[in-house]
Amino acid sequence: MRHVGAIAGREIRSYFTSPVAYAVLVLFSLLGGFFFVLQLSSFNAAIAFYQQTQQMEALASVNLNDYLIFGFYQLMWLVLLILVPGLTMGLFSTEKANATEELLLTSPVTIWEIVLGKYLAAAAMVTLLVAVLAALTGILFAYGDPEPWQTAAGLLGVWLVGLAYAAVGSFTSSVTRSPLIAFFFAVFLLFLFFMLGPAADMGMAGSTGGDAGGLLAALRWLSSEGHFNELTTGLVDTRSLAYFGFLIGVFLLLTKASVESVRWR
Amino acid sequence: MIEVEGIRKRYGDFVAVDDVSFDAAAGEVIGFLGPNGAGKTTMMRILTGYLPATDGTACIAGHDIHDEPLAARRAIGYLPETPPLYPEMRVHSYLAYVAKLKDVPRTRRREAVERAIERCGLTDVVRRPIAQLSKGYRQRVGIAQAIVHEPQVLILDEPTVGLDPNQILEIRELLGRLARASSDGAGHTIVLSTHILPEVEALCRRVILIREGRKVLDRPLAEIKQEDGSLEAAFARLTLRGDAAPSGTVPVDAIADAAPGGDA
Repeated sequence: MRHVGAIAGREIRSYFTSPVAYAVLVLFSLLGGFFFVLQLSSFNAAIAFYQQTQQMEALASVNLNDYLIFGFYQLMWLVLLILVPGLTMGLFSTEKANATEELLLTSPVTIWEIVLGKYLAAAAMVTLLVAVLAALTGILFAYGDPEPWQTAAGLLGVWLVGLAYAAVGSFTSSVTRSPLIAFFFAVFLLFLFFMLGPAADMGMAGSTGGDAGGLLAALRWLSSEGHFNELTTGLVDTRSLAYFGFLIGVFLLLTKASVESVRWR
Repeated sequence: MIEVEGIRKRYGDFVAVDDVSFDAAAGEVIGFLGPNGAGKTTMMRILTGYLPATDGTACIAGHDIHDEPLAARRAIGYLPETPPLYPEMRVHSYLAYVAKLKDVPRTRRREAVERAIERCGLTDVVRRPIAQLSKGYRQRVGIAQAIVHEPQVLILDEPTVGLDPNQILEIRELLGRLARASSDGAGHTIVLSTHILPEVEALCRRVILIREGRKVLDRPLAEIKQEDGSLEAAFARLTLRGDAAPSGTVPVDAIADAAPGGDA
């Protein structure tokens, strides 16, 4: 496993010598700032409205975590759905396009080292994005008093979602030599995962139980939405952690198989 | 140094390499010849561990490519047909990266990179991004990455293809230095895959010729010249007829009227 660091290091340096890292960081910060201000103003508007209409009960229930941070993280989750594939699209596809895949596969390096090295580079970038998010959220602590643990759980949720998306993106990057195709394939898969939850909900509402129930529950579990929501509401459950671990594991295995498949032909 | 034992590679029904065996002693420089599509690249890719063989095996510096793939790959330096370069990297950091991949110990890494840079004449461009280099320089960087870990075996796949005449001369000179170091016993066992015959005559003592995946000739260059007059004549004698009769079993005149077949 000693090559993992070398491969990850090269990948991170290449992020910062090309415009990719800067573009993603700038876009993420801009969108983050925009949605943050949006959420902040609607939070203020809600408080003003309840005060004017003297709805003291509603006013008491309004807090930073549920009314601001939760919605903010949900929006950023969607931003990650687009930006993380942008980070991962070139991981493996450009190795094929540059013919450097041949260098990696003829070096005394195992395929797991290649896959993990590249995945760790993408994971480091995701961590950087979550740090930006943490900084934005930190502003609230200076002017208000959000619940720290609930906020941390929410950040953990965003981070895990980002890591899972990076695994999916690694996989789509390994099946093509075109970064663009890798990007769209990843966004497509991630939207599919995103839609699973709401789709299963609709199915459950329509069905009267019976055979379809188990399948729908499985689909519901596969969707990242529920697990993410649990975390953002401050519920750190081993089932949610296991879910993200499962997703990352499955897609890294698929990536490994896909990289190895040159040798099966 | 290299022992190849009945290597065969099948893609579906197509046999790209068919039962090829040969040995190479330490320091030998072998020209691996054949027309385009004869299976040269496939053979190189099997030896370097990029592709598995369907049948047969090979030992590189005493390491079986199936049983000890990592040790075998460590003993090989490989320049594929397209040099494997990262355009955004600078020459020096690229070579340092390759040295890490090839397990050059940390304490010797800097020295190994410097030596490869010097041997390949890259001193003037070490800080340049690879994307800015000319094709000739890129090819030199490709050779530098193949020798950076001082491998016992050096496998070069068409190292001068696509270069202009001056660049070809430069690369040939560089290969000549590597080859001479080899015959002095100070360097690598070299397998040079090409279909450019003057290159072989300039660099190699021994020639292996394959046609349609089969080895049809394996002799010292001097003997070939004695028998056929020149390497060109031997190459033509052993491969031209193959183009007209791809199966090798049909008499030449029988297919003279048939539609021209594709290149295998």
